Amino acid sequence: MIQLDTSHGTNLVPAPGAISESEQIAKLKQTLLKDIRRSAYVFRVDCGGCNGCEIEIFAAISPLFDAERFGIKLVSSPRHADVLLYTGAMTRAMRQPAIRAYNAAPDPKIVISYGACGCTGGIFHDLYCVWGGTDPVIPVDLYIPGCPPTPAATIYAFALALGLLDQKLKARHHVEGEDENVVPIHPQIPLNLRVELEREARRMAGYRHGRIIADRFMHLLGAEEPTPFAERVQHYLDREDDPRLAEIFGKLTDIVLKR
Amino acid sequence: MLKLLTGLFKTGDATVKYPFAPYPVSPGFRGKPEFAPKRCIACAACTIACPANALTMSTDHHAGKRTWKLNYGRCIFCARCEEVCPTGAIVLSGDFELAVFNKADLMVTAEFTLTNCQSCERPFAPAKEVNYVIELLTRAGMPESETERQRVMLETCPECKRRAEVSRVTQASRHRRPEITP
Ligand code: SF4
Ligand code: SF4
Ligand code: SF4
Repeated sequence: MIQLDTSHGTNLVPAPGAISESEQIAKLKQTLLKDIRRSAYVFRVDCGGCNGCEIEIFAAISPLFDAERFGIKLVSSPRHADVLLYTGAMTRAMRQPAIRAYNAAPDPKIVISYGACGCTGGIFHDLYCVWGGTDPVIPVDLYIPGCPPTPAATIYAFALALGLLDQKLKARHHVEGEDENVVPIHPQIPLNLRVELEREARRMAGYRHGRIIADRFMHLLGAEEPTPFAERVQHYLDREDDPRLAEIFGKLTDIVLKR
Repeated sequence: MLKLLTGLFKTGDATVKYPFAPYPVSPGFRGKPEFAPKRCIACAACTIACPANALTMSTDHHAGKRTWKLNYGRCIFCARCEEVCPTGAIVLSGDFELAVFNKADLMVTAEFTLTNCQSCERPFAPAKEVNYVIELLTRAGMPESETERQRVMLETCPECKRRAEVSRVTQASRHRRPEITP
């Protein structure tokens, strides 16, 4: 078997000029993180993403999400910044400017990697011109995954940094147990019929919603209830009140009746 | 002025209460891919579909283990994995609270045991996957004698199958030779 890429964003070649911080600064930063007690000024550095992340950052400071109620303000110079927000994959061309922005910000500073690109390089991780995420070049304190992170995810990350909320995600590892066998989904329905239903639903509704719709349909089809199947479907469709769903369900019912 | 004020009062507070209150996501929201390792058969369909290589697999032939890895830091929340998963082991949830201080917390890993090839006795395919296929065949109405015969086939690695095929063909042609050359 071929050994697949398992490096997960760690570069084989170290990026030139990678920065590591001294112990004293790390300590100062911990105090800043724990006990900020004032507004946090944020400077954005786009290292080469698709700009989706920028749009979401601006959505997060819009009145609807209003990051400014926590004192989070975007500033236009790294010299005013407490927090550096790096978005986008670290491209070759932006490595030097990213380092300059880091050096220009006064210590102690907090570095946040924003989006899949910032965390690991995201979808661009294996491009010839990309060093990976932010961390091959600059020490990072907080990672915000998402492509792009929604404004709510951005607010969550700021709340996490300010100590308002706790981190939810933890590393998980599972080892296969004894007799851990898997039962197929919808075992009552013959495999051929299941494939046909899923195929038709996906053709009509797209890959994700098609699967969800086919799943619901087969759930209704396989359920052991006294009410006849047609009645159950009608009841469900009345509740959902969606003509598109009714059409897809009609097609799926035709497939079942044909057999 | 009065009109403006009444308008403002009527609209009320537009800002969401989050993070002080839960934030409901819209239906169909693509959040954190939730992985149920007990339902995974280590078939690798998701690792092939994943466009960002957030899902990867590696095989340790010596230990006879295959490791499944998901990196939330690289995931682009496209739901391709959910689409291809035959058992529904990975499904996108409405969870968006993914920020972490330590990058290692973005990883989900699972370790699966490989079954040995019946003829060369080297590990080659996940035991769960083989069992799942047999389960499917049984449910499709295959009698047990036939599934046991299929199990021998399924638990033979491609290399041994090829070797068996080659020897079968050469055997057959050797038997046939007298007829072709009189
Ligand atoms: S994480 Fe996604 S949205 Fe953000 S810059 Fe990268 S590709 Fe664009
Ligand atoms: S949602 Fe997309 S990017 Fe994320 S793990 Fe699944 S296939 Fe990969
Ligand atoms: S597609 Fe599903 S069953 Fe197959 S390896 Fe991925 S999660 Fe596991």
